[in-house]
Amino acid sequence: MSRHSVAEDASGEVVLLMGNEAIARGAIEAGVTVAAAYPGTPSSEIGNTLSRVADEVGLYFEWSSNEKVAFEIAFGASMCNQRSLVAMKHVGLNVALDILNPVSLRGVKGGLVFVSTDDPSQHSSRTEQDNRWLAKLNCVPVIEPSSPQEAKDYTRYGYDLSERVGLPVMIRTVTRLSHMRGDVVLGPINRQRRRAEFDWEGFSFRVAGFEKLFRRHKERHEKLDKVQKEFEELSFNELKMDGGERLGIVGVGFAFAHLVDAIRRLGVESKTAYLKLATSHPLPEKLLAKFLRGVDRILVAEEVDPFVELHMKALAKDVNPSVEIYGRMSGHLPREGELDPTIIGRALADLLNMEAPCKPRLRLEAETNKILFDRMLTLCAGCPHRATVYALKQAVKEVKGDLKGVVVNGDIGCYGLAHAPPLSFEDTYFCMGASIGVSQGMAHVGVDTVAFIGDGTFFHAGIPSLLNAVYNQAPVKVVVADNGTIAMTGFQPNPQSGITATSKPAKRIMIENLAEACGVEHVEVVDPYDLEATKSAFVRMLKTKGVAMVVARRICATQAIRAMRPKRPVPYHVDHERCIGCRICLTQFGCPALAWNNETRKAEIDRTVCMGCGVCAQVCPQGAIVKEETS
Amino acid sequence: MKPLRIVIAGVGGQGTLLASRLLAQSAIKAGFHVKVGETYGMAQRGGPVMGQIQIGGEASSPQICPGEADALLGFEEAEAVRRGVSYLKEGGLALVNNRRLPPIEVISGMAEYPDSNRLRALLSEVTDNIVYFDATALAEEAGDPITTNTVMIGALCASGVLPFPEETIIEVLKQTLRPAYYETNLRAFELGKKAFRDAKN
Repeated sequence: MSRHSVAEDASGEVVLLMGNEAIARGAIEAGVTVAAAYPGTPSSEIGNTLSRVADEVGLYFEWSSNEKVAFEIAFGASMCNQRSLVAMKHVGLNVALDILNPVSLRGVKGGLVFVSTDDPSQHSSRTEQDNRWLAKLNCVPVIEPSSPQEAKDYTRYGYDLSERVGLPVMIRTVTRLSHMRGDVVLGPINRQRRRAEFDWEGFSFRVAGFEKLFRRHKERHEKLDKVQKEFEELSFNELKMDGGERLGIVGVGFAFAHLVDAIRRLGVESKTAYLKLATSHPLPEKLLAKFLRGVDRILVAEEVDPFVELHMKALAKDVNPSVEIYGRMSGHLPREGELDPTIIGRALADLLNMEAPCKPRLRLEAETNKILFDRMLTLCAGCPHRATVYALKQAVKEVKGDLKGVVVNGDIGCYGLAHAPPLSFEDTYFCMGASIGVSQGMAHVGVDTVAFIGDGTFFHAGIPSLLNAVYNQAPVKVVVADNGTIAMTGFQPNPQSGITATSKPAKRIMIENLAEACGVEHVEVVDPYDLEATKSAFVRMLKTKGVAMVVARRICATQAIRAMRPKRPVPYHVDHERCIGCRICLTQFGCPALAWNNETRKAEIDRTVCMGCGVCAQVCPQGAIVKEETS
Repeated sequence: MKPLRIVIAGVGGQGTLLASRLLAQSAIKAGFHVKVGETYGMAQRGGPVMGQIQIGGEASSPQICPGEADALLGFEEAEAVRRGVSYLKEGGLALVNNRRLPPIEVISGMAEYPDSNRLRALLSEVTDNIVYFDATALAEEAGDPITTNTVMIGALCASGVLPFPEETIIEVLKQTLRPAYYETNLRAFELGKKAFRDAKN
């Protein structure tokens, strides 16, 4: 593997970086010594990058068991005067919120920057929550970059700010920025390392005294005032207003990128004033007031809630009540979802009585959609979860007589696709670890369930819930879809993998041992590639009176294929003499390596996709699927 | 000044991300600004994937507008049509791998893969500058079907739309790939170039 450019000591060089990689580089340039994260799209590449270069640049990086733990690790280092980083997807901050509050209240010593990668339009999340509200709730400064270059530079600046005022700083990105790539000019790497020393005066009850440290709401507000003053003058915020324009546009964070492109396409540079706003909390009110007074109408473009729009409306009441403010609240921009140059261009054209540029080809798109499938997501070829769910269906049918004999409460991970056809065997999923919790509420009122959770998610949030089930005698049945990795987000290791984020050997913490320690009396481990054995284990689990668990363990198929490269797995094929065209393999199992041949009226296997697991051969009632001969 | 805009359409696992990275790194090597937009949270799980690349000119957002793309690299027939009808400009260049990857709807019998002629007629409403070819077969000929992306880039390079010479791309391939993979990819690149030239002659 070639050297990663984020580790290069090559100040001034131009490299291609993804937004997330640029954030990692910014932290490295700032001299971060401790970084921790829990993977979650669209944040994962921050940790992926750091895990690759940590040893080379001399910092500690770990994949923590969840976001709260990760945040606490960063704070521990900060209290010892080290610069630290935490990264998470937006909903990860919900998990870490309990520690964010005391961190901002007590303050930090070494700079602490945390990254929240929000996901407008829910590309890979259950919600498009806007974490700027959580930052405001906790008096945390928020900086929002609009390009990979700014992602790097603002992260670096975040450390200086954090130390100057003693507050944690949030870098907020959105999916499109985290995952875009662009040219970035590298800066120098700070290789100086401070002595790690606990700040007794700043954090110790026995040295500083309890009262001094405990009630700090006022100090926190004063710190925020200092930040606001700094933001008023900060060059990241850019006001372009000549005085002749009547329409002003505010582009907050990444929305600014769409906004300038929309202005260029319409060619209305001279008709519009703009404010590029990188600091959304605390707001630079004097700067905003100048803008509010300078124009008659203002369009606020931001993702995803009208956070700045709302505050500008409040501010306008004092500084210029007659200015009209448009945005997501007025309906000039959609209330939900991400923005893009087309959406903003349309809103601008409307306000300027112009023809919108780049009209979508609605008729042609409608005709295409009429004949074209959506291409639904599905588990990969050879995915062990497919076999697990297939066996579970058979077991439920046998024990309960009906597939609706249990409510299947799923969880967050690839196996969430159990809900998708043709398996279609999952009823709910909510948030990390919820499968085991909600199942208990159902169990207490006599509704039978199966909690279906992955290994990574079990470590993240499943353990307290499992303990609770045993303690409070909720007879839940737990299936752990254990593929040995956090596959959904790019194959990060977890406490069971036997390896750390930086590829060092680690003690393997086995789920079955944890379950037994939690008091679960019926625990079995099976290989889902053996359908019959897996089904039998599920039958025994369903017939158990108390809490019972089956761990369906088999390495992620994609990871298995990667591990054998450049070799390829030995594929299976369909013996057309024996295939009767019943389509059971396709309509009930549905591995993407299988296909239907319309001419022969038989099933087929694409040997470039097949990963040789052999589970479809066990599904076929005719024994028509056989392994290819190896030469 | 307008950037050169390229849309890449395909299915998760086809190597579309590497293709856009290869183009972007080559562009930077040649001294251009570049923006690449992608979403791939679900790319591993057979979902549709699209990359948008803007080379040179003025561009801040990674997202282009409808009907703006100068070129379309279609890694899969249906996905090429899906993105082409939305994003390709009138008369724009479309390079389409005619391999079909049936989605789970088709595999499990819930939907049909549309007839090729009907699909192609839709794209033809946007442009007549289309080259259909079996890039996957050429990649297999080069030694590995995974090099389909390099075949596609080779064809794009031969079309002459790129503002930098093929040597730049080859240099990036050499720098970023292990020697064993480099040789295979170089063959794939050459086969892609030849495929475009053959189609145009």
